[in-house]
Amino acid sequence: MSLAVLDRPQAADGSWTRRSPVAGVLHGPLLCTVLFTGAALLLLTGSIPVADRDLVLAGLAAASAATGVAWAARRSRSVAGSVAVPAAQLGAVALLHAGTGSATTLLLLVGPLWALAMQPDRRGLLVGVLGSAAVLSVPAVTDPPGALLLGTLVVAAGGSAVHGTARRLAARSREIGQLEREQAALLAQVQSRADELDTASRILAARAQTMTSVIDAVTEQSIIGTDRDGTIRVWNPGAEKMLGVPRPDVVRTRSILDFHLPEELDAAAADRACGTGLEALVHAAREHGSDVRDWTYVAADGSHRTVSVAITPRSDDRGAHAGWNFVGTDMTEARATERMKDQFVSLISHELRTPLSSILGYLELVMDDEDQPLTDEQRQYLATVERNAQRLLRLVGDLLFTAQVESGRFTLQPADVDLAGVVRAAEETARVAAAAAGVQIVVDVPDDGLVVAGDAVRLGQACDNLVSNAVKFTPAGGRIDLVLRRGWRTPEGEVVDHRVPEAAPVALLSVADTGMGIPAGEQGQMFTRFFRTSNAQRNAVPGVGLGLTITKAITTAHGGTLDLESTEGVGTTFTMTLPVPG
Amino acid sequence: MDPALHSPGGSAGPAPGAIRVLVADDEDDIRALVCLAVRKAGGHVVVAAPNGTTALAAARAQLPDLAVLDVSMPGATGLEICTALRATPATAGIRILLLSAGASPDEVTRGLAAGADAYLPKPFTVAGLVRQVRALAAGEPVA
Repeated sequence: MSLAVLDRPQAADGSWTRRSPVAGVLHGPLLCTVLFTGAALLLLTGSIPVADRDLVLAGLAAASAATGVAWAARRSRSVAGSVAVPAAQLGAVALLHAGTGSATTLLLLVGPLWALAMQPDRRGLLVGVLGSAAVLSVPAVTDPPGALLLGTLVVAAGGSAVHGTARRLAARSREIGQLEREQAALLAQVQSRADELDTASRILAARAQTMTSVIDAVTEQSIIGTDRDGTIRVWNPGAEKMLGVPRPDVVRTRSILDFHLPEELDAAAADRACGTGLEALVHAAREHGSDVRDWTYVAADGSHRTVSVAITPRSDDRGAHAGWNFVGTDMTEARATERMKDQFVSLISHELRTPLSSILGYLELVMDDEDQPLTDEQRQYLATVERNAQRLLRLVGDLLFTAQVESGRFTLQPADVDLAGVVRAAEETARVAAAAAGVQIVVDVPDDGLVVAGDAVRLGQACDNLVSNAVKFTPAGGRIDLVLRRGWRTPEGEVVDHRVPEAAPVALLSVADTGMGIPAGEQGQMFTRFFRTSNAQRNAVPGVGLGLTITKAITTAHGGTLDLESTEGVGTTFTMTLPVPG
Repeated sequence: MDPALHSPGGSAGPAPGAIRVLVADDEDDIRALVCLAVRKAGGHVVVAAPNGTTALAAARAQLPDLAVLDVSMPGATGLEICTALRATPATAGIRILLLSAGASPDEVTRGLAAGADAYLPKPFTVAGLVRQVRALAAGEPVA
């Protein structure tokens, strides 16, 4: 930004001071040049009589020389020079006056006297008075002495007046100069501020452009900004795409509420006990600073979109509340997928568990029919059928449970649970399989039990998983130790076997086997869904890789931890810790 | 009468003092299995319905002592039948046992909240179902 008012040349010293044309003439040699030239012309034409030719020529020569010096030295600021030249000119006037004896030549005094009177100190005035007296004294032989005195007094009075005026003018000139310097400084400040403002404006414009380009680059999320009353002010391409309305058709003319279902807003108002309309939409964001939840957007074609909308308040440049921001992600397909997943889980639940009910129920009827007892061979065959049906049932249960954990619908039925009893029950469950595999199970639990707060069924499931895993991965002749004891978890997370200050009591259940172990590179994946170790696959150990995932989920849901230590070829120890009520 | 409503097994008739039981399940095999369990428990199956609509109509017409209902059925779910029976004074006293493949705590809670006296998740054992039927017949609290 430029200011035309500042656009004029500066003086050499940087100021904007200037001298008026009239003052230049008066201060320069022009006045004397004009006067002496006029006198020379009058002498040549005989208008002024010449009494002494030599004096007149000497006077003209002196005048020419002094005036020439004045022209040559007009830019000099030498005080001596500015006094010497007018003094020389006074001498020339004296010669002319003496050579002509004409009073007309006295008019030539005006030039040098003016120049002397304009000097800043009184020395010029003194030189002018003395010089004038000298000029007037030259023809005193012919004039009465009174004229000499009167002329000197006139010159003194006039010179004094001129000098006073010159001083006042000089003072005024200095004031003007000072004002002009101050003005220049102010103008410089204004220019600086103007430059800063210009820079700030460019930065703001660049930022605004950056922000606009970023918002415009978002095509898969809707970004909508509104005033406090819900009038739309920002509408990005993502909103255009999601709702099918171009920006010019909504900005400043439509409300955010035009794209919501009124009945959904009414229901939200009822739930939150707040006003309906915009207040229902922004109530939670107003209360908590932000709010993210699903809302139904109504597109231009009337279709409904399920949108996860993040709502935040918007402030103006002074921090005052100015409106609301709505950033939406279309979740229509994702929510449909989740519903399909739930439906799939439900389908699995019904379609697999129902036939299993038939299989197990009729097996039970056949095997328990006292009227028609089975042969041992028949019973053995049907026992195999039942065992595999039970295995299939467990797999279905594991799949359903995993789906519940993933969807967040996994809930616990808390109660006081004696973990010692849970461990003994797990040993009993695994006893037959362990004996068949030639594996010994040793149980070491506190005689007085160890009670935790938890879901007995789920904790039993977790313990069964650990023990059955150990049995499956331990070769014949191996051993499994089930050890339950008390411990304390320090604030740093370390579990120790003795009470320490500020440590929380925990139950430690370790299941240690002498099995094939887990390769070090695979231990980090042990709790990943459907992961099976290379050892398990190589040795055809049955399983689908859900047991440890489920066990970990159950442990975590109880506020506990599940860790493992394993050395390939030596064995594996799983350690579960569960908080014990204080 | 719809053949599907006949109780399987061709029972000769109710024993004296036997409770009258309505069985409803859209799975033929399960429905037959439940009927067998009811008889083992000493009950008499008055109706074996293949869907919810038939089951509700039969319950209102026959006024059985006990209804063993599958939760997931076409026509009307076991929960809807439960609610409907409890809403009518004539049927409000029918004892109800719900069977369901849904075994989550939420599903059990919903079933009991609808008015069921007991809830048995599938797969169930015949012995367990027999115990439930006997307990309901005797008016005992069911675990």
